[in-house]
Amino acid sequence: MRLGKWLAIIFLLSIFAFLVPAMATDQEVAATHDTEHGSTHGAEHAVAETGHEDVHAGSESHGHGDAGHGGHGGHINLGEVLKLWTCIPFACMLLSIALFPLLAPKFWHHHFGKVSAFWAACLGIPFLIAFKGVAVHEILHIILADYVPFIILLWALYTISGGILLKGTLRGTPIVNTIIILIGTVLASWMGTTGAAMLLIRPFLKANNYRKNRTFMVVFFIFLVANVGGSLTPLGDPPLFLGFLHGVDFFWTMKIMPHMLVTAGILLTIYFFLDTYHYKKEGLTSAPVEEGEKEPLKLVGTHNFIFLGGVVGAVLTSGIVDWGEVNTLGIHRAVQDWARDGFLILMGMLSLWTTSKRLREDNDFSWFPIVEVAYLFIGIFITMVPCLLILKAGLKGEMAFLIAAVKEPMHYFWVTGALSGFLDNAPTYLTFFNTALGAFYPGMPEAQAVPLLMTESSIFLKAISAGAVFFGAFSYIGNAPNFMVRSIAEEGGTPMPSFFGYILKYSLVFLFPTFVVVTLIFF
Amino acid sequence: MEFKKILFPTKFRELAFNSLESILELKKAGLKEVVLTYIIPRDEVAFVPFGGYMKDEEERLREQARIRFENWQEAITAEGIESKVRIEVGNPVPKLLRVAEEEKVDLIIAGRKKRTVLGKVYVGSHTLELVRRSTIPVLVSKYMVRFEWEGDLITRVNDHIFTAPLLATDWSEPSEKALKLVSSFKGLADKVMVTHIIGVKISKGLDKSELNRIEKESKERLEKYCDRLKKDGINAEPHLFSGRSAHEIVRVAREHKASMIVMGTTGKDRFKEFWLGSVSHRVTEASELPVLLVP
Repeated sequence: MRLGKWLAIIFLLSIFAFLVPAMATDQEVAATHDTEHGSTHGAEHAVAETGHEDVHAGSESHGHGDAGHGGHGGHINLGEVLKLWTCIPFACMLLSIALFPLLAPKFWHHHFGKVSAFWAACLGIPFLIAFKGVAVHEILHIILADYVPFIILLWALYTISGGILLKGTLRGTPIVNTIIILIGTVLASWMGTTGAAMLLIRPFLKANNYRKNRTFMVVFFIFLVANVGGSLTPLGDPPLFLGFLHGVDFFWTMKIMPHMLVTAGILLTIYFFLDTYHYKKEGLTSAPVEEGEKEPLKLVGTHNFIFLGGVVGAVLTSGIVDWGEVNTLGIHRAVQDWARDGFLILMGMLSLWTTSKRLREDNDFSWFPIVEVAYLFIGIFITMVPCLLILKAGLKGEMAFLIAAVKEPMHYFWVTGALSGFLDNAPTYLTFFNTALGAFYPGMPEAQAVPLLMTESSIFLKAISAGAVFFGAFSYIGNAPNFMVRSIAEEGGTPMPSFFGYILKYSLVFLFPTFVVVTLIFF
Repeated sequence: MEFKKILFPTKFRELAFNSLESILELKKAGLKEVVLTYIIPRDEVAFVPFGGYMKDEEERLREQARIRFENWQEAITAEGIESKVRIEVGNPVPKLLRVAEEEKVDLIIAGRKKRTVLGKVYVGSHTLELVRRSTIPVLVSKYMVRFEWEGDLITRVNDHIFTAPLLATDWSEPSEKALKLVSSFKGLADKVMVTHIIGVKISKGLDKSELNRIEKESKERLEKYCDRLKKDGINAEPHLFSGRSAHEIVRVAREHKASMIVMGTTGKDRFKEFWLGSVSHRVTEASELPVLLVP
């Protein structure tokens, strides 16, 4: 049977699967209303704009200034009625990301957008038919409150950092390499892991092009610059920005500093010794003869740091001020959140206008990676709606088993981490963030629950945050910059391990023991 | 000024080889070496979402290009011209410009080799970007084009493109350079039509005596250009017109059966071009003839 027919069958099955339980939900709702109000209202009568739905979404995600409408007593919570299998499109979306690049890279490269749209449609269309207004509200909410700011931040950081170029001749000695990785690790929290990785990977590769064994260098670069380094601010790594959008304070993330220092310290030390060993083994104890003129080190496009400062300032400000709310397509969003998004776009545009095209070309700047992320993440965000609602319902939802099983901080660290390593870490973070909310504060509006999670249950949030960020390094698919770095390294002639080779030769050998140490010390 | 070394980039589209063959005529004008270039667009092989880089695909494309170029190189060698192959991965236009710089070529060949669908413009965005940014002369070749003329749909094959070039001059420095280049067409060109258009912007609002003065001055300058070409052994004839520059150049070239248009270009950037326009770029887009732009 042809692929198209299979896709059509999957799509029709998903519609059918949604409609039957939706009818059951209608009856349930009707019974509830008969009992409580003496009137009958179906789920389709839900009024998304006001939040007074018959079937409502439970504790809606409202971060900085976003109004919450959770917990209407006597009404059915959507997260409590949704079945576990409604998460199948989300699982399929993530499995597509994990498996297609391995099994059918060419197909995936040319059709990833269609795959993403397919899974989004498999969830979105039946969900809309079954739950109408509430479904519209939920999908719009995740798009406007999560996806849009998420993509805007990534775009702004990617655009701005793509305008900074490190020129000059560097010689990749163990000390120089360790310093480059250290600088990248520090920068990652302020210009994003993607930004820091893109800024330094080409100079790093160029500095080491005379070295025989470069593979381990790029792997440690991925570990530290593309992942661990981004753990200190919401700008650093996408999961933390999602946390910020859901109410986690900008500077709260600094509480992960001890975890980060231990992890980075161990990995950098290992890297230094490993590099020194290979350096000596390759007989490179003295500096190699320079070919041609030595070009002094120079950072070009430095005015882009002003725009990076603007990004930091905008995100920080949006977490502090309260300028009221605005209703957009029925979704309540804080004015400062819209202002922040607008300002980030302005910063990106200014970077584009003020940075020479030649500089970006020298940086091999391309829009393709960010377009990929935008296409894939719209699919991820839409398909994850039921999953998040069920998790938020806590023990009343169909994922009660997960919430009951994940109890200790170390559980959160390892489960969030293990899934982050093989799925993208941003949706995984959001999943376990909601698991924690569901476990500790079921039914409580997010605006009230998150501050409690940051204070009285902070160790759990630390475990989720550290798990999502650190374990993003565990495989190529853990975090978006990993595959960008891999791609640039391979293009430049540095052989990189296969998907499983990376995990077996590097992640299990270096990361796993490091995370055990982090667990023993902190969780 | 001669075309000793040229860069011939290709995407292996239909008639690309025919286009190359038509360029080899330049041997008579001193052509010594052709650099055959294929740029594998980076986005085709790199940044597989959450995957990485398709090294195998790059190798396949390289091998495919290499085999095709081998065949082309035989034809070039048969003409007594040297050749070289460059297959690179990157963003097409910047990479081409970089290769052109590294190879120190005298001319870049660009443009579609065939246009079968009737359209208003004969060049794509990549060619226009190349034309705008190159500091090396660019020949937009247009091997086969289809266009509408007096209600008829005409297919034209631009093969012997150097026989009757129309040199459109605005007396600028790039126009001077273009004149010097055309001088190297000895043995190729039967005649050169040296053309100047008194633009609407210039003639608008001028009284008759002033117009006469400009006309007289332009004719004298045209004669001087022709004399210089004749001195180099190339037959040349002056043409003076007035009107909208780009439109007139396209019309005159068509009516006088020119084989190509040669122009100087000031290389305005995207911003300036948007606001001020560029005659040379408009001619490149609108004419069915090959256009040689000299920065």
